[in-house]
Amino acid sequence: MSVNPIIEISDLTKTYKGSEEPAVNNISLEIFPKEIFGLLGPNGAGKTTTISILCGLFRSSTGSVKIVGLNIESELSRIKHIIGVVPQDLALYPTLTALENLTFFGNMYGLRGQLLRDRIFDRLTVFGLEKVARKKINTFSGGMKRRINLIAGLLHQPKVLFLDEPTVGIDVQSRVVILEYLRRINSEGTTIIYTSHYMEEAEHLCSRVAIVDRGKIIAIGNPKDPLKRRR
Amino acid sequence: MVLIVIMSLLQEVGYNSIRRESQVDVLFLDRDCDSLGIKIRNGLASSGFFNLIDSLERKPVTEASIRNAVRKGDFVIGIVIPRGVTKKIRNNVRIMVAKTMSGFGLYNHSIFGDMPLSTADTVTIFFDPTVKKSFKNSIVSAVKQYNYRIESEMVFSTFNHEMAKVFPTYHPPDLSYKDAVEFKEVFPTFRENEAIPDTAQHNVPAWAVFAMFFIIIPLTSSMIVEREEGSMFRLIAMPVSYIQLLMAKVFVYMLVCFVQTILMILAGLYILPMFGAPALILGDHILALIVITIFTALAALGFGVMVGTVANTHQQAAAFGAVSIIIMAALGGLWVPMYLMAPVMQHVSSLSPLNWALNGYYDILVRDGGFLEILPKIIKLALFFISTILITSIYWKFNNPMNK
Repeated sequence: MSVNPIIEISDLTKTYKGSEEPAVNNISLEIFPKEIFGLLGPNGAGKTTTISILCGLFRSSTGSVKIVGLNIESELSRIKHIIGVVPQDLALYPTLTALENLTFFGNMYGLRGQLLRDRIFDRLTVFGLEKVARKKINTFSGGMKRRINLIAGLLHQPKVLFLDEPTVGIDVQSRVVILEYLRRINSEGTTIIYTSHYMEEAEHLCSRVAIVDRGKIIAIGNPKDPLKRRR
Repeated sequence: MVLIVIMSLLQEVGYNSIRRESQVDVLFLDRDCDSLGIKIRNGLASSGFFNLIDSLERKPVTEASIRNAVRKGDFVIGIVIPRGVTKKIRNNVRIMVAKTMSGFGLYNHSIFGDMPLSTADTVTIFFDPTVKKSFKNSIVSAVKQYNYRIESEMVFSTFNHEMAKVFPTYHPPDLSYKDAVEFKEVFPTFRENEAIPDTAQHNVPAWAVFAMFFIIIPLTSSMIVEREEGSMFRLIAMPVSYIQLLMAKVFVYMLVCFVQTILMILAGLYILPMFGAPALILGDHILALIVITIFTALAALGFGVMVGTVANTHQQAAAFGAVSIIIMAALGGLWVPMYLMAPVMQHVSSLSPLNWALNGYYDILVRDGGFLEILPKIIKLALFFISTILITSIYWKFNNPMNK
């Protein structure tokens, strides 16, 4: 690819306090605009730690990360306006309604009034949740919660979207809806970085994947042939 | 609100004993049935503080029955006026007047000069051993005062009587005595229109302050739930700082503090009087009341977000939060008014932010102070808030998930 990378990761290492083994071990990687990039690997491989560093939630031990040319250490607040995060855990307020949750998270991104309302109902309609907008999250099924969790990270239309296992533990119907929507926003210009256990899902969705194990990238390339570029 | 009502009613008797409003039952045996007995009886009864009782179980009291009732603790005071005491006073007064007049040569000095005075008679006052010394002294002083008054009245009347006998043209003046000195009781306030502290004026602000600080429990709980359920993970990925998130919480919980304070004030105004307790007197400084509420809430919420940030679990937050607030409340004079504490504890009490807040409310509700009077307390509460937020920021900087 001749275009500049939207994410540049150089020699990234993360060792948690009190741990001897690094959770992320000297990873270097470039991700380009409009890619859907998958980080695949078993539990404990370092996927969530990597994505958390890229979102600015954890500080790396060594190495550097740049997103749209901005250094994550020194320009994190600017980066946070550009990125969207969909965490693995359901980061929602269970006693609030779907509408209240999305309004709150939209407000946190500076969205207000009719614009926010239109976006919320547009996304709820896309994900088939418009009829339950005023129901509390704690009455939702796991799949419905996952969809709301995803919408909360998308309302501000981020340039770069990080998803940490967004389809884990959900029904097929919800998974299909989510993956279709991800393809749609990707076609509209959003770069997606995504972790998953599911190779099959990655094959259908991702333009490139990296296989991570014990904190290292052991393979990177086209998901149809992930092992052809061993590192 | 329920605490305000219950505590006010529980404390009402205690407060009234301090404020001398409740009537104390006094067993009274008047064997004298003359001026002194009547004077003491009328004086005590008209003071409004004593309810004189002269029969027990439908039988007239005796010295023995009074002693027994006080010994058993059924009554705290019993007074026995001995038989003939007024007669003795009168006799002594006559002798004193005669001696004085003989000094002028009006009477034969040889007759009156060496006439002995009657020996003193004894008015017996039985006290329950638990009665405070100050209270005991005030009763004894009151009885003595009635005795002095009787004696002085008798001196004048006897003197006039004797003068009239010696000088037939002498017309005795009007002897209705008027006190030359009057005593005015003043409770120093910032304005002379003083309000005396009562149970409502203590309990409403005390429990309002306590409730504001006790909000630490739901506040810290919500912060830990956010961390446990992952909402905090999303929030810190958003373009807002941790302090901004905390300030949003402070703002929302401040509204809660305001609502609960208003409800407590309404309880003081309207519910307490229904149970016979005094109603809260708000005074004229509503703006100062709002200001002290804002800064009290800020101090409470600053402490809450600090504990919520430092605590890792609900158990830690609940245990430390609840215990610390209870200790600060006890030290701060919320449960036992500061003026009833030992001097050392009064000094310790002044270190509690709950005490600063309570004193701010006292300034407004009890001492009728305004903004200027509460300013020192506001400054202390503001500094406490700033300190807690600084500690929280520093702790978060070095202990947030980014530094795992």
